Amino acid sequence: MENTSPAAAAPTRSLAMPLRATPKDDAEPVPTLIDVRNLDFYYGAKQALFDINIEIPDRRVTAFIGPSGCGKSTLLRCLNRMNDLIDGTAVKRGAIKIRDIDIYGPSVDPIELRKRVGMVFQKSNPFPKSIYENIIYGLRIQGVKSKTKLDEVVEKSLRGAALWDEVKDRLHESGLGLSGGQQQRLCIARTIAVEPEVILMDEPCSALDPIATAKVEELIHELKKQFTIIIVTHSMQQAARCSDRTAFFYMGKLIEFDATHNIFMNPKNPQTEAYVSGRFG
Amino acid sequence: MPPESTETSVVDSTATSFRIQKERTQFLGLTWDECIQWFFGGNALVAVIILGLITFFLFREGSSFFGQNRDNITIYRLAGLEYVDLGRQQEKDHAALSRYLADVRLRTHQYYTVQVGLPAKEASARLKEFDLYAERFARASASIREQLSELSELATDIKARHLENQNLAEKRRQLLAAGKKDEAAAVEILPIDFPVEVAVITSTLPAYAEASASFSKSLEELVAAPPALPDPELSARLGRFQELTRAFIASFPETLASMQSWDATVPVPLSQSFSAFIFGRQWLTASFWQDWYGAMPLIAGSMLVSLIALVLAVPLGVGAAIYVNQLASPVEQRVIKPAIEFISAIPSVVLGFFGIAVLGEFLRIASGWSFLSWVPGFPFAERLNALTAGCLLGLIAVPTIFTLAEDAINNVPRAFKEASYALGASRLQTIIRIIVPASLSGIVSAILLGLGRVIGETMVVLLCAGNRIAIPDFTAGLGVVTQPVHTMTGIIAQEMGEVEPGGIHYRALFVVGLLLFFIALILNYFAQKIVRKYKVSIG
Repeated sequence: MENTSPAAAAPTRSLAMPLRATPKDDAEPVPTLIDVRNLDFYYGAKQALFDINIEIPDRRVTAFIGPSGCGKSTLLRCLNRMNDLIDGTAVKRGAIKIRDIDIYGPSVDPIELRKRVGMVFQKSNPFPKSIYENIIYGLRIQGVKSKTKLDEVVEKSLRGAALWDEVKDRLHESGLGLSGGQQQRLCIARTIAVEPEVILMDEPCSALDPIATAKVEELIHELKKQFTIIIVTHSMQQAARCSDRTAFFYMGKLIEFDATHNIFMNPKNPQTEAYVSGRFG
Repeated sequence: MPPESTETSVVDSTATSFRIQKERTQFLGLTWDECIQWFFGGNALVAVIILGLITFFLFREGSSFFGQNRDNITIYRLAGLEYVDLGRQQEKDHAALSRYLADVRLRTHQYYTVQVGLPAKEASARLKEFDLYAERFARASASIREQLSELSELATDIKARHLENQNLAEKRRQLLAAGKKDEAAAVEILPIDFPVEVAVITSTLPAYAEASASFSKSLEELVAAPPALPDPELSARLGRFQELTRAFIASFPETLASMQSWDATVPVPLSQSFSAFIFGRQWLTASFWQDWYGAMPLIAGSMLVSLIALVLAVPLGVGAAIYVNQLASPVEQRVIKPAIEFISAIPSVVLGFFGIAVLGEFLRIASGWSFLSWVPGFPFAERLNALTAGCLLGLIAVPTIFTLAEDAINNVPRAFKEASYALGASRLQTIIRIIVPASLSGIVSAILLGLGRVIGETMVVLLCAGNRIAIPDFTAGLGVVTQPVHTMTGIIAQEMGEVEPGGIHYRALFVVGLLLFFIALILNYFAQKIVRKYKVSIG
């Protein structure tokens, strides 16, 4: 899946010098937004996550890395209960708390949860509607009708997703007519239009070329001022470039979670070291 | 084509370590792969050839209809039947007005018995004046009726002799073909001089004009002095009757003018043969007067029945498809899908039988329930009508629409659904705003194919539609659905067995078949076109 070679993607950055993972981030303690405790998760009879404990900081970028099938996407999809859509899935033990509210609690409406915890998917999936309609979809279903409000949100979201200048003259053309990178940024714009607190990104760049990838990564830097971002990636370069914290998963277990530069420069666990240095995975 | 088979002679015996050459089995000079290719290709070819043959056969049998129909209309004109029909139309209009009067009488009688509470005898007595009036009205046309019946006899006689001549000519042709020249010469054909014969009919015009004038005068007198009625509502009806009668009287000069200008020698264009078929309002065969092959009652019947079927089948089929694909639990899916698809396994004759014995009877009884009296057309007396047939056809279309719509909904990428949920949409919002719009073209093509299925269905409509060959009375509003109709498929099934091969009736049925063929073709074409477009837009 490593279709983003570091040289092509961002020639000025390198693995040795991760841009964001500066020691400064660690110096000041960051409040925790999402607190996962002792989480066991099952697909039917098959256990996918084993006793996960992780505290995800507010308004930082957290990267989940690990080989295929390690559970990183599963954990991501637990955070906005997208796994509910798959029959037979269940959290058997533990809890996920966002702002101290257990999101699997009985009084939680998953629809409300998903308005607060947005998601961007691996393959860009704009609806077969116009760019404009794509952006305002989340507001439409909430019943927002005011044209001025909608116009405002469209511009703000597209600017936020660094797409406004490219599409402002064709807002009413189909979103499917955009290039792959533009489509993915459109999906990000669509997500931020509902103003969530958390944006989950499930390998958002795996289907993009290096230049489009670089644009999305730049966008992630911008977005973290406002949003808490969790990104699942197969590209260790990407994790190193754009995340503040990195969690390494293996076989459904969280092996190591630390500041990104520690994970890449100074991993404590030998498995982490083997993975980030490219010896397996 | 697969590459040429390798020859064994080129195998190099020294290259034992890298054996990629192999001798292939040959059969009639073809390799095994080629044989299989020919077999499958042949199967496909047979299907194409059969389709071509059917099309050709339909065209060949149907095409000569229009020539025959033109001859049919030509003799109608030459023998003066057309002329007589101009006058007979007046007679028919007058009869319709008489029926209107009879209807008013019935209502008045009801008014007396129900609202005033008089015994039936007393009510009839009070209507004595009205009855006299109605009788005078009915008798007013006596003079023209008499003349018209004489003219009819003359015209029919000319036509009969013409048809006899045609038979004799045919006999002579057969004898000649058999080489019996003497016998052929002995067949005597009396030629008919149409202009002279018809002149006998048209020469009566002055007399007819006179009769018509006295007819209109007596009508005017009657209109001026209508009988008094006890209720304003009934008087209003009588007012309407006066209005209609005045309009009828006003049309007299026009009728006379068209009789005046009528000319038997004007040739009938072929286009009239077409339009008389497509737009003709009468399908009248084996008539002593004139046969008409107008497909309009059949087309209207088929359309009406199909429309009823779609109104029922679209919500059922599409709704069930959405439920099964999006909302149902796996257990429900396992039960509902085969159950709906099993409907298509019921033979349509069994459904038709059910329609006659159960559904038609039930609907008729239900239409009499007082709490349903607000439904347009209720109550009705005909057990077999468009509604009964439409309900059953709807049932037949449900599996088609369900299966194809379910496929279309299933083809909506899962990613759309996930994106919608991730933006905080509920299940219902996702279905209405994303799933249905994305699969809409697939659903539309499912509906078109369902319509094709319904229009082509024969057995159910033959058994349940009532088979009355007349354009349903659309002025009844929605109540039109309770009228008996006949359909394009039904008429072919009903009449094909009784017609003389090669005759005009036989050919007319073929043209109806052609019409059905084209409707099915067009529906399928559009359904496929829509599906293709849909695949491009999603893909």
